[in-house]
Amino acid sequence: MSSKSSAKDLVLDPIFNNNPIALQILGICSALAVTTKLSTSLTMSFAVIAVTACSSAAVALIRNKIPSSIRIIVQMTIIASFVILVDQILKAFAFSLSKELSVFVGLIITNCIVMGRAEGFAMKNSVSDSFFDGIGNGLGYSIILMVVGFFRELFGSGTLFGFTVFAKQSAGGWYEPNGLMLLSPSAFFIIGIFIWVLRTWKPEQVEEA
Amino acid sequence: MPLNKDSLPNTFLVATVLCLLCAFVVSAASVTLRPLQLANAQKDRRSNILQVSGFTPEAIEEDGGVKKVFESRFEVRIVDLDTGNDAQAECQAAMDKAKDRVVNLSEEYDQLWASKTNPNKGLSEKLEKKADVCGIKSREKFSEVFIMNSVDGKPELYVFPVRGNGLWSLMQGYLAVKPDFQTVVGLTFYQQAETPGLGGEVQNPDWKALWIDKKIYEDGAVKLAVIKGNKPGNDYGVDALSGATITSNGVTNMIDFWMGDKGFGPYIKQMQNQDSSEAKTSLAGGNNVK
Repeated sequence: MSSKSSAKDLVLDPIFNNNPIALQILGICSALAVTTKLSTSLTMSFAVIAVTACSSAAVALIRNKIPSSIRIIVQMTIIASFVILVDQILKAFAFSLSKELSVFVGLIITNCIVMGRAEGFAMKNSVSDSFFDGIGNGLGYSIILMVVGFFRELFGSGTLFGFTVFAKQSAGGWYEPNGLMLLSPSAFFIIGIFIWVLRTWKPEQVEEA
Repeated sequence: MPLNKDSLPNTFLVATVLCLLCAFVVSAASVTLRPLQLANAQKDRRSNILQVSGFTPEAIEEDGGVKKVFESRFEVRIVDLDTGNDAQAECQAAMDKAKDRVVNLSEEYDQLWASKTNPNKGLSEKLEKKADVCGIKSREKFSEVFIMNSVDGKPELYVFPVRGNGLWSLMQGYLAVKPDFQTVVGLTFYQQAETPGLGGEVQNPDWKALWIDKKIYEDGAVKLAVIKGNKPGNDYGVDALSGATITSNGVTNMIDFWMGDKGFGPYIKQMQNQDSSEAKTSLAGGNNVK
């Protein structure tokens, strides 16, 4: 990952080639928690993209001033501030969504992707590169969230973005919802299958046994 | 000469400047967005009160929105849960003292917050283990009651704020009852984080519809409950949610507590006495005329 890489590569690379969840296995926790519905997945995705991009850029901006002894705490403080900012904005402008996401917006602070990019990339690269890297990794996270959310909402509730796709039996239709899809473990299966498909498509991601 | 970035003074400098900057950004956001957030939360609670009272979202829209409908139809009372008396003034005094300023009670009284204050502030009281059936540990001393009045000023229904622990979360909601304090008009939750699809089904409109016209008391004791294997036609039972026994029990306990002596029981008794004495005076008045 040289500093010469273009903005396009920085944004697109983490989506399939170096996906933070599928390849680096970071940020699994919230990928389980918020993906029962597409609307919450989407909101969470935007929140994480915003936080990763802004905090990476902010860390890169002061990277030459940060004393190495307190660099982790400095990164944490910056990330936490952005997360609180995002949380406050959601509460003010998207109240019902922020209610559904409840604590998980706050928990972006503990999302390893954000911290991982700040420490692993932003500390050594320019502001704009770090910003695009943040967006890219946020997108990589988002695509998994959207895929998981898609399957969980479709098979768990028979809806997509709240619109009925499969009419549920309880509402007079034919579809018997799969309760497992509404519980966290189902996200493990979907992420597992996603990784399987991805590594069949890109065999270079397969780890040596 | 620029400071060495790993030196002790620079470490302190960076830490201080960063903290101040972040603190400023966060507090600025919090202060500027607070009014919007409070308004959102209030609107959310009020729209839940309207819905539990039988207003459909379309009807609310038609009549000019949540704020207008709520303010034109509902009266907010603050009552002392122990005695059942009207306690607007007492609550105002206790809140002013707790916050050390004059509080706008109708906008700022947050019962959940009040219930968690230190009991010596006069806003809450600890619950004994035995009495604390729904696991809330302490209860506010004053509670809001929302009364919907008909056009001629007679109460049409009463909405009580209720809450209790489910499996994962504190479920907060509203219970609407008819003025006989016996018939349920509706139950809704505006805040809960039970398992989506299982306990989270407390939000399912089909399940909430089961509560309509259920009866609460039998011989003065709360009998209404969420029951597994409920028989059809049982006036005192609502079908349990499948796969969500603890959430279902939580709802039962919540009704039991808030309709009981530690909850709105004293208020309800007082209102019923008032009603019957009013009936007597009007009868007596009728006799005098004769």
